[in-house]
Amino acid sequence: MPAPTPPALEVRGLSKRYDDGTVALESFDLSVPDGSFLGLLGPNGAGKTTLISAVCNLIRITAGEVLVFGEPSHSMAARRWVGLAEQDVNLDRFLTVEETLLYHGGYFGMAKAEARKRAAEMIDAFDLRAKGRVRTPKLSGGMRRRLLLARALMHRPRLVILDEPTAGVDFELRVELWRYIRRLHEEGTTIVLTTHYLEEAEALCDEIALIHGGRLHARDTAEGLRERYEAHTLADVYVKALGSPAPEAPAPAAA
Amino acid sequence: MSGARGLGWLARREVLRIYKTWTQTVLAPVVSSILFILVFGLSLGSRIREVAGFPYEVYIVPGLIAMAMVQAAYNNNSSSIFQARYDRFVHDVLSAPMRPWQMNLGFNVGGMVRALAIGLALLALAMPITGIGVAHPFALLLAVALGLVLFSAIGIVIGIFAETFDHSTFFVNIVVLPLAFLGGVFYSVGQLPSPWHELSLVNPVFYLVDSIRYGFLGASDVSPWLSLSVVAALAVPAYAWSQWLFTSGRRLKA
Ligand SMILES: Nc1ncnc2c1ncn2[C@@H]1O[C@H](COP(=O)(O)OP(=O)(O)OP(=O)(O)O)[C@@H](O)[C@H]1O
Ligand SMILES: [Mg+2]
Repeated sequence: MPAPTPPALEVRGLSKRYDDGTVALESFDLSVPDGSFLGLLGPNGAGKTTLISAVCNLIRITAGEVLVFGEPSHSMAARRWVGLAEQDVNLDRFLTVEETLLYHGGYFGMAKAEARKRAAEMIDAFDLRAKGRVRTPKLSGGMRRRLLLARALMHRPRLVILDEPTAGVDFELRVELWRYIRRLHEEGTTIVLTTHYLEEAEALCDEIALIHGGRLHARDTAEGLRERYEAHTLADVYVKALGSPAPEAPAPAAA
Repeated sequence: MSGARGLGWLARREVLRIYKTWTQTVLAPVVSSILFILVFGLSLGSRIREVAGFPYEVYIVPGLIAMAMVQAAYNNNSSSIFQARYDRFVHDVLSAPMRPWQMNLGFNVGGMVRALAIGLALLALAMPITGIGVAHPFALLLAVALGLVLFSAIGIVIGIFAETFDHSTFFVNIVVLPLAFLGGVFYSVGQLPSPWHELSLVNPVFYLVDSIRYGFLGASDVSPWLSLSVVAALAVPAYAWSQWLFTSGRRLKA
């Protein structure tokens, strides 16, 4: 019998207390199977970004363990397998669009020729060709989002983590990003996505995890959640499970 | 191999940053140091007796080059890492498959490269202007290397601890510049009366200037072994401190 493939992400007993005493996560457990698409939903301050930061070695964890495809998240292998697009745009202001991708590829161990080829691919895929030689501070908000996503995918990660990738993005671009993210998932990439747009979570994700106060409250398919909470819509589930009103849905196809 | 490429690209990024802003990062400090050499050396030089057997305009060159270099190493690294933290671009590096020593070294390289560019440019200009030469190339290289490690690493440490951009300029204005002016850049501390002479001997910048002056002129106030040892004894813990910040994630990671 072949060994079962380890989950793309395995979080065990993860706690994070920030230096100011804020407890953002408490004994958090989560397992994300290889090839799945998980949506993380929860109100502001629920701990979503903290969870993601723990996976990507961006915070010092207080307790617990994080494994990426069976390897400790701080290992070289795990780092190479994860691609992250952060909630807040964090581009290198000294680099052009092209350099942003190239240097990221380099940090992640890609050979130069390969990185060049991949950067060109990403620039085309995210429609950034016209801005290839422009420095990042001169990009529009939407272009920065696209570049952020392109950078996350640059080194061909097996687990892609997208923290509110469509925040502040116009309707057209959102639909475009959805299409791209879906295709990525179909190609076998595991995706973890946070969003405040419930329809986005429902449209994209296989499963949804509801987080509140640093704890996992429920985790199921959208369908399963509706059944469990005897709700008609995901928004109703959100209210019943988390006790707070659901975030406003994005304006429907107005654009 | 693991992480070696990442280190290479990070070092390259730091150099690219200097290159893209070279008028501020290299040209400006070269011009201001040359002005010092011209104004102080050539104008005062005719009125001041020789110092330690050297014409004044020659005597001040090693100290001025040393100060230009270590200040550049410090300024470069403190502002580069501060900006990387401020823009949170540093996350791209912290999450990359690199080891902490590679991240630390990569961020340190920028200051050293910038300092060397400035030092070589100043040397190329000062040689024809003042006729200065290099008496002990090996000692000079060693002194420069130790001085750059020291100030590059301090730049990283301050840049990581700084909460505002002013914090990092504060350090240079309040600590480095006064120590430099009191460290024998413009005079031989041997000429000073007590207690200024003794006080100079507890100033770390004095040892750096003295060791670099020995490399250029072959003359120094104290034994070059002593000055090199003092600079090394400071450089090692400074670098270890910046390394510790990357290893532990203190301040860099919430
Ligand atoms: N650097 C920090 N220092 C102290 N507390 C922090 C820090 N970062 C986050 N927190 C706190 O941790 C908790 C969880 O924050 P986190 O950013 O993980 O929430 P989130 O679910 O991503 O929220 P949002 O939907 O608003 O992005 C909050 O109470 C927040 O104030
Ligand atoms: Mg968040």
